[in-house]
Amino acid sequence: MTPPAVPGPARPVYSAPREWTRVHPVSPYLGSGPILGFIFLYALTRVLPSWVAGGNSEYEALNELPFMWLSLGAVLVVAAVVGIGVLAWRRNAYRVGDDAMFHRKGIVFRQHTQARLDRIEAVDVVQPLLARLFGLAQLSIQVAGGRGSAIELKFLRLGDAEALRNEVLALAAGAKLPDAVAEAAAQAPQSVGPASLRDLTTHVGETNPVTAVPAAPEHDVLAVPTNRLIASIALSLPTAVVAIAAVALVVAAVIFGSVVGEAIVAFVGTSLFAMVGFVAAVLGFFWNQLNGGFRFTVATSPDGLRLRHGLMEMRRQTVTPGRVQAVVVTQTVLWRRMGWYRISMNVAGYGPTEQRVSTLLPVGTADDVLLALGLVLPDVTEDSLREVVAGHGADNGFTPSPRRAWLLDPLQWRGRGVRAGQHALFIRSGWLTRRLVVVPHERTHSVGVRQGPLQRLRHLATLSVHSTPGPVRPIAEHLDADTALDLLDQQAERARHYRTVGHA
Amino acid sequence: MTWYEPDADWTYADRKLITTRCIVLWLFMGFIAIDFLVFSLVFSPGWAWGAVAALVLGAWYTWVVVRGVTAHAWAEREDDLIVKRGRLFRTVTVVPYGRMQFVEVSAGPLARAFKLATIELHTASTGTDATLCGVRAADAETLRDRMTARGEARLAGL
Repeated sequence: MTPPAVPGPARPVYSAPREWTRVHPVSPYLGSGPILGFIFLYALTRVLPSWVAGGNSEYEALNELPFMWLSLGAVLVVAAVVGIGVLAWRRNAYRVGDDAMFHRKGIVFRQHTQARLDRIEAVDVVQPLLARLFGLAQLSIQVAGGRGSAIELKFLRLGDAEALRNEVLALAAGAKLPDAVAEAAAQAPQSVGPASLRDLTTHVGETNPVTAVPAAPEHDVLAVPTNRLIASIALSLPTAVVAIAAVALVVAAVIFGSVVGEAIVAFVGTSLFAMVGFVAAVLGFFWNQLNGGFRFTVATSPDGLRLRHGLMEMRRQTVTPGRVQAVVVTQTVLWRRMGWYRISMNVAGYGPTEQRVSTLLPVGTADDVLLALGLVLPDVTEDSLREVVAGHGADNGFTPSPRRAWLLDPLQWRGRGVRAGQHALFIRSGWLTRRLVVVPHERTHSVGVRQGPLQRLRHLATLSVHSTPGPVRPIAEHLDADTALDLLDQQAERARHYRTVGHA
Repeated sequence: MTWYEPDADWTYADRKLITTRCIVLWLFMGFIAIDFLVFSLVFSPGWAWGAVAALVLGAWYTWVVVRGVTAHAWAEREDDLIVKRGRLFRTVTVVPYGRMQFVEVSAGPLARAFKLATIELHTASTGTDATLCGVRAADAETLRDRMTARGEARLAGL
């Protein structure tokens, strides 16, 4: 992945721009536009023959219009689409400063975003299929500090995106002084020059561009084998539902004979749309799992954690060191026999809904889990982390939910447990799907205890540790009320202690 | 220990918050009650029960407001702020000053008339529910400045 930057004579060098630079000119036409265009063209080709042939009363109204007008209208529509695209492209520019990255865009509503380099949480290079075919990529820079602070540049040449990522990360890490980076960029023997439409032919299939600041060396730590990924998808809940439905149908067909067949035909006939929606949802789930987990690789680098994955849409994420706020290790009942786990994480900047970017490991063994946890939470070194991950409920010194919680929480109360480790808080929950949440003490933003009227009758309370938005929600439900209040005090104290220690 | 009562200097929400909340509540409930009374005069006397229901609901909700406001308090400790609220569903939240990203003071027209303000503490987590309602307007500015100063002194990165 990362050869040393030895620019050969024929290989141009990419570097991040210090002046305002526009994104690639083809960008406005590379989104969902072309797909809509193709659908429109397809519809047109289906309709055109019968229209031109005439005799079809449907198009009488159109035939009334002079041909010139129609042509003029078509030309105007095309011109408007192209013109708006050109305007959008002209306004869509970015540049790198010494301590921030700038982006401006928008025709009517102008938007100017500034991302401070020392607050960068993650930098992703994404290549959707269409962009990948043309050697283009999208760059997302996630910054701590709320909504709308992220920068999304689409699209750049792959080389530009990588050069930008490398320089931004180098500057953010303080690995090189800004002057040194600028010098390295200036000394680049042969610059590529600005992006133009010609790139579409010359840069197709470019996979390993040379950048002024070389990418930090990567060291692959974990990889998800494709056969395990496919097996894990086969052992998922939607598969189980589909399988159970199929078995139920076969059994019913055997018992009741042809009546069932007629019933199915009738059902499909009456609720075809519902069926289409259901099938689309199931296929979409399978597709997201496959696409998101395909060739999933976890690597370390001085820039931070590197995650690479994707079948059609290639995604290369870099999470800068120490930016993982919390993780959750989950195991569904179907995976328990196989000993597989999935890890999701909270990274400030990645939104709460983005499953595909918040996955640290789509499927892995207990060993993989320990390795991955060691990478993102290096301080969390419990001696029995393996047992902590594999355990359930009160195992290994966890404080469980008391027995009297069963009435409020009949399914999960046995699985619940909480333990304050030396560096992190561990929260277990779940019945069929077991979950273990790990929140480092120094990443605790605030702590709260909540008690409802039913909980009060049973002397229970719920402890929540507030983390940044994401898939991990560290909440320990239905603890003994005294335990919860003690934990509230202790967590606040621990959070304060480790924060100051970590900060000093 | 039945509930969280640490030795701290609790500041309770100003009782005038009850007044402002009841004004809003009774404007609404009174409007509904009058509607029903008008209906009862125009159509049939049975509609008057609607007005009674609105008044009973209003009375009950007034009690909820009184209980809620008297349960709402906060305490500034050396390193963090504790906020407690609610009677039926009660919560306690501990927000370390070092985690505060910014502090927002707001006051609507009614609150301004009664010299009240609302202070909202924001951390990087959206789960943090630390809103102080019914702060005396005179104290709000100093409280905000004090918390901001403490936050800066203890500021921690993410």
